[in-house]
Amino acid sequence: MNISLRSAVWFLIGITILTTPLVTGSYVIGVMCFVAVFGAIAVSMGVLLEQAGLFSLAHPTWFGLGAYVSAILAVRGIAPPWLGSIIGAIFVACSSFIIGAPLLRLRGYYLACATFGLLLVVEIGLSQMGSLTGGHEGLMGIPPLSIAGFTFETDLHYYYLAWALCLGCLWFLHNMMRSRIGRAIKAFSDSEPAASSMGINVARYRLKVFVLTAVMASLAGSLYTFYLRFTQPGIFGFPLLVELTTMLIIGGGRTLYGPLLGAFVVLWMRELLHLYLGMILPRMTAEVDSIFFGILIIVILIFMPGGLAGWVDRIFGLRRKAIERVGG
Amino acid sequence: MNLFSQTIQYAVSGITGGSIYAVIGICWSLVYLISKVLNFASGEFVMLGGMLTWAFHRAGLNLAASGILATASTTFMAVLLERVTIRPVRRPSEMTFMMITIAAASVIKGVVLLTWGSETRSLDPFFGNQVIHFLGATITSQVLCVLGLLAAVTLGLSLFLNRTLFGKALRASAVNQTGARLMGIDPSSFRLFCFGLAGALGAVTGITITPITFTGYEVGMLLGLKGLVAAIVGGWTIGGTVIAAVALGLLEGFGAGFISAGLKDVFALLAMIIFLIGMERWTYHRR
Repeated sequence: MNISLRSAVWFLIGITILTTPLVTGSYVIGVMCFVAVFGAIAVSMGVLLEQAGLFSLAHPTWFGLGAYVSAILAVRGIAPPWLGSIIGAIFVACSSFIIGAPLLRLRGYYLACATFGLLLVVEIGLSQMGSLTGGHEGLMGIPPLSIAGFTFETDLHYYYLAWALCLGCLWFLHNMMRSRIGRAIKAFSDSEPAASSMGINVARYRLKVFVLTAVMASLAGSLYTFYLRFTQPGIFGFPLLVELTTMLIIGGGRTLYGPLLGAFVVLWMRELLHLYLGMILPRMTAEVDSIFFGILIIVILIFMPGGLAGWVDRIFGLRRKAIERVGG
Repeated sequence: MNLFSQTIQYAVSGITGGSIYAVIGICWSLVYLISKVLNFASGEFVMLGGMLTWAFHRAGLNLAASGILATASTTFMAVLLERVTIRPVRRPSEMTFMMITIAAASVIKGVVLLTWGSETRSLDPFFGNQVIHFLGATITSQVLCVLGLLAAVTLGLSLFLNRTLFGKALRASAVNQTGARLMGIDPSSFRLFCFGLAGALGAVTGITITPITFTGYEVGMLLGLKGLVAAIVGGWTIGGTVIAAVALGLLEGFGAGFISAGLKDVFALLAMIIFLIGMERWTYHRR
């Protein structure tokens, strides 16, 4: 894709996001808010899993930790929400650094198993520390986000904030992938011995991308919890992992924008599913989700391994260039 | 109850838990060694075994008949899983297989939840409610059934793998797939066989443990994961898995008894993480 076409596409997307609230109702704004938040985590998870080849399943953990730290600070009145989000991000950066340093030496299945264990440990830990985190019931009474006297109250405020965060993450990752770190990531995901023989400190770059994506997930988590004004350990565990994986697979993680596309498709598909199933089978909602998306993941992995993004690129005849761009 | 008999009681529950993890761990290793697929639906087979038996039993069949029917249907499900989702994958990679089996587990869980609801279910103990008193601790007859199952599975599998031609061919294909292929062994049908065997073993485990631990739509994931921990720590061998699983069970039994019952699952998972890191450091420094 040449530069002008690409910037035209992004310009159109930006205009669409800005004007959507003007022409649609609060329902669409609410769903699009979730698309932005989940898009932000899915995009950072895509870079971690697909581009850097680090098969970490602990990404929802950083989302949950960021949410919990900022929510606890806000509920106890220790720090205002905006400062709490930053403290949460710093906390997540430190803990992902400390945990990532020994963990990222593991390879393949073993890394996946260890991070999956970490995900469940943090989920159980959050529900067991009742006095601090509110236990299974979760934390209630979280104040809304406010910066310099302006309080984010309506869906519309959060809509713009969430999309700013989402597109900000996308922009940052896009630039990162074309910088020194990004080139190093592409090199070691292709061939680690070759990369390290060229003088790339693979362990350090692995840790760097791990911490950076964890911080993004943490910021998204803080935003999510101040938007819902409620948090619960169940939100950040295995169900979120399956949901993010679905977005990644449906969208296609080989490109940067794929996971965002996946978030959009998955969340809207779920809304439609609930809308139409609600008419036929009034008492089933969440159960049908896991069956439907489980089957969808299997079908896409078997018949369309590149996801929607791979398909879009192929339609525009850009497949070769897309592969060059991400180093696949 | 004094401290000594309490300790014995925790040890008994630990060994019971460990035996359960051992059989599930053997299911994981069977599939992993032959096909290099980590089947995250292993735990769901255990759940299916228990739930299907309960369902058939409620429909009016007696316990033995419903157990056999449940095992047969779970085996069929496992074989179907391999044929429908694992075999047609075009670009096989560890990640793809893992995602597919996690998705399959989530589908199985969803269907069970939709059909039978979220309540926990139970079965009657096989030999009534008799208990044995041993050093102040009580052991139910069902616990002996679980231990018997583990003994039967380990003995049967080692005889099968070491004494029969088919078993030896399976081991050969686990050691070197290309070599085994050159000797005329078809890895694809072996993979199918291992999925079926893992499904059957998982179902039998599920039926045996249901009178003790109860069953519900969500028990599969954690049980399966602990079996995986045992298999990894045990180095994917039968003996190693049994030792690791019993150690894991004792750790959990004492941890739940003396520290906190709510953190029971955390001990096993932390042990896995620490073991994996330690193993990596050890192999790294030996290189």
